[in-house]
Amino acid sequence: MSAQPTAPAVPPDHVTIEIDGKSMVVPKNSMIIAAADKAGIAIPRFCYHEKLPIAANCRMCMVEVEMGGKPMPKPQPACATPVADGMKIQTQSQRALSAQRNVMEFLLINHPLDCPICDQGGECELQDLSMGYGRSVSRFVEKKRVVPDEDLGSLVETEMTRCIQCTRCVRFMADIAGTYELGGMERGERLQIGTYVGKPLMSELSGNVIDVCPVGALTNKPFRFKARAWELIARESIGYHDALGTNLWLHTRRGEVLRAVPRDNEAVNECWASDRDRYSSDGLRAKDRAQKPMIRRNGELVEASWAEALAFVADHLRDARGDVGALVAPLTSNEEGFLLGRLLRGIGSDHVDHRLRTLDFADAPVATPFEMPIAAIDKAKAILLVGCNPRHEIPLLAQRIRKAVRAGAKVHAINPVDFDFNFDLAGKAIVTPAAMLDALLGLAKAANDAGHLPESSALAQAIAGLSADAKAQALFKLLADAPESVILLGETALNHPNASSLRAAARFVAKVTHSAVDEIPGGANAVGLARAGAQPRQGGRDAGALLANPPKHLVVYHTGSQDTSAPAAFDRARTEAQFCVYVGAYACNGVQRTAHAVLPIGLPPEIDGSYTNLDGTTQTIDAAAKLPGDARPGWKVLRALGAALSIPGFEFTAIDDVRAQMAADGASPVTATNALRPRIEPAHGRLVRIATTAIYASDAVVRRSPALQAHPLARPACVTLHPEDALALGLGAGATARVSGVELPVELSTRVPRGGAWIEAGLKGSAHLPPHGASLDITKA
Amino acid sequence: MNRVTSYLKSLMLLELLAGLGLTFKYLWRPKYTVRYPMEHIPKSNRFRGLHALRRYPNGEERCIACKLCEAVCPALAITIDSAPREDGTRRTTRYDIDLFKCIFCGFCEESCPVDSIVETSIHEYHFEKRGENVVTKPQLLAIGDRFEKEIAAARAQDAAFR
Amino acid sequence: MQEIKNYTMNFGPQHPAAHGVLRLVLEMDGETIVRADPHIGLLHRATEKLAESKPFNQSIGYMDRLDYVSMMCNEHAYVRAIESLLGVEAPERAQWIRTMFDEITRILNHLMWVGSNALDLGAMAVFLYAFREREELMDCYEAVSGARMHATYYRPGGVYRDLPEVMPKYGESKWHKGKDLERRNAWRGGSMLDFLDAFCADFPRRVDEYEELLTNNRIWKQRTVDIGIVSPEQALAWGMSGPMLRGSGVEWDLRKKQPYAKYADVDFDIPVGVKGDCYDRYLVRVEEMRQSNRIIKQCVDWLRANPGPVMVRNYKVAPPSRVEMKDDMEALIHHFKLFTEGYSVPAGETYSAVEAPKGEFGIYLVSDGANKPFRLKCRAPSFVHLSSMDAIVRGHMLPDVVAMIGTYDVVFGEVDR
Repeated sequence: MSAQPTAPAVPPDHVTIEIDGKSMVVPKNSMIIAAADKAGIAIPRFCYHEKLPIAANCRMCMVEVEMGGKPMPKPQPACATPVADGMKIQTQSQRALSAQRNVMEFLLINHPLDCPICDQGGECELQDLSMGYGRSVSRFVEKKRVVPDEDLGSLVETEMTRCIQCTRCVRFMADIAGTYELGGMERGERLQIGTYVGKPLMSELSGNVIDVCPVGALTNKPFRFKARAWELIARESIGYHDALGTNLWLHTRRGEVLRAVPRDNEAVNECWASDRDRYSSDGLRAKDRAQKPMIRRNGELVEASWAEALAFVADHLRDARGDVGALVAPLTSNEEGFLLGRLLRGIGSDHVDHRLRTLDFADAPVATPFEMPIAAIDKAKAILLVGCNPRHEIPLLAQRIRKAVRAGAKVHAINPVDFDFNFDLAGKAIVTPAAMLDALLGLAKAANDAGHLPESSALAQAIAGLSADAKAQALFKLLADAPESVILLGETALNHPNASSLRAAARFVAKVTHSAVDEIPGGANAVGLARAGAQPRQGGRDAGALLANPPKHLVVYHTGSQDTSAPAAFDRARTEAQFCVYVGAYACNGVQRTAHAVLPIGLPPEIDGSYTNLDGTTQTIDAAAKLPGDARPGWKVLRALGAALSIPGFEFTAIDDVRAQMAADGASPVTATNALRPRIEPAHGRLVRIATTAIYASDAVVRRSPALQAHPLARPACVTLHPEDALALGLGAGATARVSGVELPVELSTRVPRGGAWIEAGLKGSAHLPPHGASLDITKA
Repeated sequence: MNRVTSYLKSLMLLELLAGLGLTFKYLWRPKYTVRYPMEHIPKSNRFRGLHALRRYPNGEERCIACKLCEAVCPALAITIDSAPREDGTRRTTRYDIDLFKCIFCGFCEESCPVDSIVETSIHEYHFEKRGENVVTKPQLLAIGDRFEKEIAAARAQDAAFR
Repeated sequence: MQEIKNYTMNFGPQHPAAHGVLRLVLEMDGETIVRADPHIGLLHRATEKLAESKPFNQSIGYMDRLDYVSMMCNEHAYVRAIESLLGVEAPERAQWIRTMFDEITRILNHLMWVGSNALDLGAMAVFLYAFREREELMDCYEAVSGARMHATYYRPGGVYRDLPEVMPKYGESKWHKGKDLERRNAWRGGSMLDFLDAFCADFPRRVDEYEELLTNNRIWKQRTVDIGIVSPEQALAWGMSGPMLRGSGVEWDLRKKQPYAKYADVDFDIPVGVKGDCYDRYLVRVEEMRQSNRIIKQCVDWLRANPGPVMVRNYKVAPPSRVEMKDDMEALIHHFKLFTEGYSVPAGETYSAVEAPKGEFGIYLVSDGANKPFRLKCRAPSFVHLSSMDAIVRGHMLPDVVAMIGTYDVVFGEVDR
């Protein structure tokens, strides 16, 4: 080591600046405020947001800047002044402070005296900065401006008089959500933020405008007037309505989840949350929440003690002699999945499955983590969406794709519906489910033509007679040429009647083009449940087989009929079962009618549990809310049931013991095969069902959230037809069609391909219809 | 000489007699005693006693559920639940004061932006059953309704100082 | 020879002369004390720890409840500690009000002391007379703050409200009407300052009455003279302060040595004892009442002549007036934030002490820059004094313990905290 002092190494594209006497090296072209934030120097701001483009319209972040020994004539906005070498910045000088104080006074002249009735009070940036940087008394005596309110729907409450026109919400809707629903009208003091046409926000990310709003202009509507920030205890949790595992803070009071806000995690959700995760918590308090254990006596469900109920269930399961199956909803935690699998196998059954919406089990599909992690999708250069509507399946994934597109990525889609994306597509094939298979096999053929041979002979056979068209070849070239490319398989691909072929083709194409395959797991914890063993291991019946050929004894774990691909079959299975035990959170009508025993357990926010997200990351959370009534955490119920059945290996006293056992056991030995299901051809001349899960019907909790159910995206079931198909059937918009025995209103849209009939799944009205890809009988009602 | 005088004084119990004389003198003075509960000692208009919730002259309750009183209460004696009322205004659905916890510091009244929660001059009250120490919103409003005149007068008298 | 064992006796915690909840375990050889072991903690309320959990202002009310016979003096030490960390100074009028109420508090405390101590030692009447005067002064407490004891009146940056223009009056009743009622309300015709003025003119005569009953009384002297002698060295070594220290002849008074509020501007003397026995401490306290009366009189005169603000007009610390809060945006925000979150105090530590009636009452306050104290520690004179119990009463007779507890003037609110 030399004793000579060395000049600090300045990396290329970096400059040296000084803020409040503190010298630092920062990237060129970054803004002063970003450098200050990194160094922990506080600069007040309203309009600046790390994730949003710079607007510099609040003028709160004024600082004094000195360049080359010469002070700039006026204070500069720190959010819009790029750093330059040798810049000296004063954030606390007399001039800077007085500039900030004066801006603050201007911001407050039109602000109403609403603090006592404003929900933002106590967590309001305007209040905080007024205390920290503003004057003590106002000098403004004139009349204040009043702005009329707009109804933005069931999720976001407005009080536009409180708006300080920072335009963060406008920039969020435009840049992040990509729906451009908010804008500014008029100018100067009369500038108003709104939709102009007075329609509700349709974006599935609309709740985030509440977080970015620094004042109380946009607030959480279901949470309205419920509690103050200081009363709430923030508990770490995660979202459980999609496989992203959005990191959340659950704000609880007296054990009740009152609202959810996103928790920063760059690798998962950045600083955003989808509306589904944000607004589902009211569903926890639904009227039909199961609160007491119940058993069926003389044909009637009666309340019982836990000891009675557990003994009752154990007796029946013991008598089952292995003729017992379990259907597990994919929002179940790893620990519960593990214990349930162990329990079933302990009584001699391997019939346990969580793949409730899957139709094709030929290749024994296993939910696998994303090959390209979600955080890397921003940087992908080519993306192929197959049967995927990311906006509804995983709203924040769509946001990532949007980011990639804005960075120049080319996105192609092979979809059964021309979904309304918040990014531009470079190309698309909107085809019926059967044609979707052709399109993907065509792509595989293009790969084959380029000299690659599929490993699987079944796939080779399938593409043998095909020829790749120009479109397929271009798409193959795009994937092959892009440095970072990914094939995203979505719901309508994975729940396709020939999903095994789609998957095989996608994997083959990905392998030869060095792309990643990302399969969107079916439900929040599908990846974790597959690992934990809630899936057949040695030839047990899968979900499809369990529904088609139900066992005499049925364990229904959190599952509702609308969570399955065939609600009618599910209902029949539990009605005809000799014994059906419902272990779950909601004693809905179906449960009341069919279950022989109801064991009430907690939902993810109420229990300790770990969940594995689409990246394969396991996130462990602690219980944030109180369990309702006598409900217990599922793992404790399963543990007690295991003990009651005298199954060895159920001597757990703490959840950590369960986790230790899981770690010792390792991932469940379930492996996919290469087998392909024979091609299912739709009946000639009949329309084919296209089923996508409705965004606000994805699971039992979401279906019970009043705020989400009041959102325009939560529509009752309807059948959407191509206008020409409708014309052929003699159906117009607004008419009622009889679809395979069910009457549904008709909508017309060219987004649906000819030959397809788009009917959302998960809804009450569509429960009795055949699944995705099946032929329908449609007549005029 | 000095010792002789003090010995004589001591012998004659002079200092004891002087003390007895003082108490004897007070025997004939007007009584200082206040005949409570028939009589009361004077009470300041700033007195901090039992709480009340006030209404506007048109009968509308003042409280807007801002929860400042709940936040400022050092003893955590106040519990408020709030929700939008049918007309969309912000109102309390529950306003409980636990008088066992309350330390009568007066911060709730100081914090109230709409002069709703006040500490009245009532200091004679009792509880007969467990749980009665928690006064509820209807009770508080009833106290306010009954003593509105006195409450308003006391506030008006002290307005310049607040 | 038969072996005689020492006898152990529990004095308190329910003994009426234990001044609250002192449990004194006495080891006795006949009537003589061999060892006195005070057990404390029966009134522990975790005031210091509690203060760490709430914004600064919310603990003011709990300061009243430490030494619950000298309420405002405790508040004074606490708000002075906060003010010194905030770098805020209360307006002059507020300083005078604080000086005046500190002295009112001193008289309140000493009246309580002289009455109850005399009662402990067998004299009944003094208690009644002392409580008569306490009544007048507690009316002043109530008139200014709304509470007769736990005032919560001092605030960082001043005092909550200015002195009232009117004193509440006795109402008419079957027993008191006409002339009789007029006599009762004789001092109450004007403002609170008029009332205090009349009180000050009358009070020395009242003190004479207590002295007439006690000072030369042979029984009183027999119970106090040469009892519990504390030498000046002992007093200093035990960390005594207030009348306990001055009774032993050490001239030490924070009001003179480190003047705070307006003590530098008022004229008063500090009495000291000669022998350091219980009788000297009695004389010191009686004289302190007379001196306090002098200070109150001077404060009344100044306050009459000099109206002005009693709270700093810095809304970052002190809330705005109600009128302003209701029609000014900035003022409303500051009101809202001050009553929910409170103000943040710059990081640092301070020790602020006042000459409380019982001695030096100090608050050691550490702030980490948050809106709550990082650590609060009360230096309570009673606690310090009580620790010397064993050393002082050893060799005395049992009844002398009562005299000694009395002369310590312990209050368990501040010992146990």
